[in-house]
Amino acid sequence: MRLTIPHPGHFSALQEIIEAKEAEGLNDVEEVFMGGSPDVMGSGRGVLHAPLLDEIKEQTEYAHQHGIKMNITMNATCAGGHHLSLEGYKMFEWYFGELNKAGVDAVTVAEPYLVELLHDFPMKTIVSCLAYVDAPQRAKFFEELGADVITVDTNINRHFDLLKGIVKAVNCEIRVIVNEGCLYRCPFRYSHYNLASHLSSLDQPRTPLFAPDFYFDKCISIRLREPAQIIKSAWIRPEDLKEYEAIGIKEFKLSGRTKTVSWIIDCMRIYSKRSFKGNVLDILDCPQMLRYMFHIENERLERSIDQWKACKKICNDCGYCDTLTKEALIYLK
Amino acid sequence: MKGELIEGRRRLEDELGKLVGNIFVPEAKIFGMACGCVGFAADLRGLRSDDVEVFTEKINVILEEISGSVGVKPEFIYARKLPGSEEVVVLTTRELCERCKREFAGSKAPPRPDILVLKKKR
Repeated sequence: MRLTIPHPGHFSALQEIIEAKEAEGLNDVEEVFMGGSPDVMGSGRGVLHAPLLDEIKEQTEYAHQHGIKMNITMNATCAGGHHLSLEGYKMFEWYFGELNKAGVDAVTVAEPYLVELLHDFPMKTIVSCLAYVDAPQRAKFFEELGADVITVDTNINRHFDLLKGIVKAVNCEIRVIVNEGCLYRCPFRYSHYNLASHLSSLDQPRTPLFAPDFYFDKCISIRLREPAQIIKSAWIRPEDLKEYEAIGIKEFKLSGRTKTVSWIIDCMRIYSKRSFKGNVLDILDCPQMLRYMFHIENERLERSIDQWKACKKICNDCGYCDTLTKEALIYLK
Repeated sequence: MKGELIEGRRRLEDELGKLVGNIFVPEAKIFGMACGCVGFAADLRGLRSDDVEVFTEKINVILEEISGSVGVKPEFIYARKLPGSEEVVVLTTRELCERCKREFAGSKAPPRPDILVLKKKR
């Protein structure tokens, strides 16, 4: 197993994450990822830190001293066409060149054009889950564009037929995100990430600095009204990583770069040790606020992976997750 | 409590203004969170992270007094910056729940890059 860990961006956080990894012998941790400069491009998450190139270089050197790779995440789903202009091309080519000079090991992008552009640099090209790779054919397209690693759309985390098909179809590595709790087949997914991409970018002067997050508020409300949606989300229990390794997936990524340092370290420890006792909502990147409302005891979900692996995802006919919710979810008062 | 809150907002604006120049505090509030934390928070404009670093002790004294007047123990005091900039947009004092003592205030590093920790009760 190779584990990729979120890094909020400030140097002291990186030091503390690496300190915990080394102190506890979490040898599966191989890479950290953090956002790049919002002056160049936004990302799929809120940007809480805007590292300059000198800082990226300094942090990358520190990570390398400790045997950790640095991945810069530039996975905005929309750049407003700027990247396709001559000016945009020159900017991205310059920025990738500077990241390369800074020693960065990998860049995560969602935009196909940038996948192809990155091919000119020795850094690894990681396709973001926001490229929505959800089928072998789409994976092949991205591999042909230059992907070294494809992070699959989390919607297919429990579609083992598709995952097996993708692993078989491409030669590049396949990565899964383990603790994203987004709604399964969320109707807001594309719109929400487009919003996040624009709001986190400083390069688009007509973008509002603030917009009400309709999608997030709806997402939380849906789960409050129908808690089974939390169970249906495609997160992966730490104990179930072996099921993915069994089909050839060795790359696992934790989500949560906007979360606190202590929470990130806790999740790193839990997934490294592949064992967790407690509320599943405590280790999910989103919808974290619902952990104060619901408790889903992880141990009560043991072997549910067997059902999810074989599930046809026709929820109306199945009802497994509804039953499981009744058995495993406790309302906190 | 209403009087203390209104007075606290005005006092914070005045005293920060004496330290660094024009500061606007449009809103001050006390809050209670689902986790169990309670706190006092003041939105503000005109303050930069450099100002906070230079005047940390003085700002802490002001916030501790205001916080106490509205019934919040200032165990953890922090400033939140506008992400990617040096503009400080919120000052908060917080009485932490057990979870947040560990998860929010438990790291040596600031919990997030947009947070400047001014005081942490050991």
